Amino acid sequence: MLEARSVTSKVILQLVTTIMIIPFAVPLYVMFSGSFAGQGWGNYRAVFRVPNLLGYFRNSILIAAATVAIVYVLTMMAAFGFSKLRIRSKEVFFWMMMAALTLPEVVLLAPLFTTVAKLGISGTLWSVILPISALQVPFTVLLTRTYVNGIPDALFEAARIDGASTWRCFIHILVPLAKPIAVAVIVFVMINAWNSYLLPLVFLTGDHAGVVTLLPQHFQGQYNDDQTKVLAGAVITALPEVVAYISLQKYFERGMAAGALK
Amino acid sequence: MSVTATTEPSGGSARRAVRPAPDQPKGGAARKKRRPPMGAPGIGWIAPGFILSVGLIYFCIVYSGYIATLDWDGMSPVRKSVGLDNFTNALTNKLFWGALRHTVIFYVCTFLGQTVIGFIFAALLQSKIKLAVVYKVLVFIPVVIAPAIMAPVHRIIFATDGTLNSFLRAIGLGHFAQPWLSQTSTALWVVILVQIWTSVGFGFILFFAAMGQIEPEVLEAARIDGAGNIRVLWSVVLPDVRGTVVVLAILNAIGSLKLFDFPYLLTAAGPAYSTDFLGTYIYRETAVMGHVGYAAALSLLLLVLAVGMSIIMSARGRERDKRKAVEADA
Repeated sequence: MLEARSVTSKVILQLVTTIMIIPFAVPLYVMFSGSFAGQGWGNYRAVFRVPNLLGYFRNSILIAAATVAIVYVLTMMAAFGFSKLRIRSKEVFFWMMMAALTLPEVVLLAPLFTTVAKLGISGTLWSVILPISALQVPFTVLLTRTYVNGIPDALFEAARIDGASTWRCFIHILVPLAKPIAVAVIVFVMINAWNSYLLPLVFLTGDHAGVVTLLPQHFQGQYNDDQTKVLAGAVITALPEVVAYISLQKYFERGMAAGALK
Repeated sequence: MSVTATTEPSGGSARRAVRPAPDQPKGGAARKKRRPPMGAPGIGWIAPGFILSVGLIYFCIVYSGYIATLDWDGMSPVRKSVGLDNFTNALTNKLFWGALRHTVIFYVCTFLGQTVIGFIFAALLQSKIKLAVVYKVLVFIPVVIAPAIMAPVHRIIFATDGTLNSFLRAIGLGHFAQPWLSQTSTALWVVILVQIWTSVGFGFILFFAAMGQIEPEVLEAARIDGAGNIRVLWSVVLPDVRGTVVVLAILNAIGSLKLFDFPYLLTAAGPAYSTDFLGTYIYRETAVMGHVGYAAALSLLLLVLAVGMSIIMSARGRERDKRKAVEADA
């Protein structure tokens, strides 16, 4: 984009980029260096002594895994149906689904609050998994249907003529060919589920039901705002995400950007 | 690897096949006649997803409509029907309009910040810069980490005895040090700043991908005609990535309407409600105050705003698609 022929202008370009990056690196640096202030590794040992710390991680993993599984299966099936199968007034169903595309989750809070209490699933992971999945499905279906439309119909016609059942067409043609979009969908849903905060905050109130996004508050309560330990807690909870991102850079960037491809 | 490749089965030829899809539902007669390749009924295939998402969401909305006419805490058996009082109360409440005002300010500032900084970063990193991957990772990490996890770090940075104030004192600007998060004049700006910090990477990734699609020959031609760097960015690159700007405008609008995590965790919507947003307002009325009826009325008002906005946006989007189609035909 920008052209820098001479050495001076190259250095200037590099310098400008570095200066602009600094504000982005500072909070990460503060988090990391602050977590070692005072007692050094002792901060981390203290955080690891928080009762049920692993439980928080386990719940986050369960929620992310269940949400990904539900959304993936439902999305692939629906995209197949919408794109390749015969459905009466298909577009009506499709637009009913798309109407929920931009729905802010907080809109569901009041009705879910009373419904969850009534069903007696308050405090269970399902009270978070189901609403999060429901909110993701319209978008992932839109994304996947657009992609599946690009898979040639001839493939399915040929398979049908060869006597393949609908199920076999789904499993042996659609699922493998839709893999690139599936990866984006999975990463997108996984990040959203792992980072979700509002629904766990409201519904996972029991001591054994916390998730990682609730940990910082827990630390703040536990340590009376002892900054170094709060920061150590932030590092521990952020680390899995940062490691996952750096090792799967391409997929994360595509998965997040998938949100823009409407 | 280009980001836009996500919707393409494999490379360019398939891409043309995918392109018409966005306006397909309202597409021409030719598209309506397109027979599905499989005669098998598909209703069973869409049913699970349809029931979960449409079922749950529409149920919630309809149920909200009912709750919104009640004076109810959500649990007790005592429910008093109050008609439309909750709505008139909301519309005459200073807090509601305050939250809306904060949403608009937040939207304009975060959209501008994310777009301008993201655009500049993308242009810089598409140039021949050393260590580009390191810069990219640093800008994108904030996008990946949960706001709820970063919020305590930002709180420590902007605290009265926090990192920012110590830095200001260290460089002799101590008189600028102030309790950033606990005074009404600065709290909203801190929330905006933190959101920009979090979201620039997202804008950057989209611009970066869009710029990767610009033909090098076009840039070369502009340079031969004597255009400098700034001129190339303004007259060649910017018009080409206009679509990304529109996408960011849309996503930021939705994001601002559903904002909850940062104002709740950084400032608890305070001080004196100066960082209150619709998200924090609805949360407070639902889970803290136990005014579930009132919260449901607020939710429906928010829903009207969100739906109204997406209708306006999709209408504009269609206009754009049409313009593009005309340009492509010409």
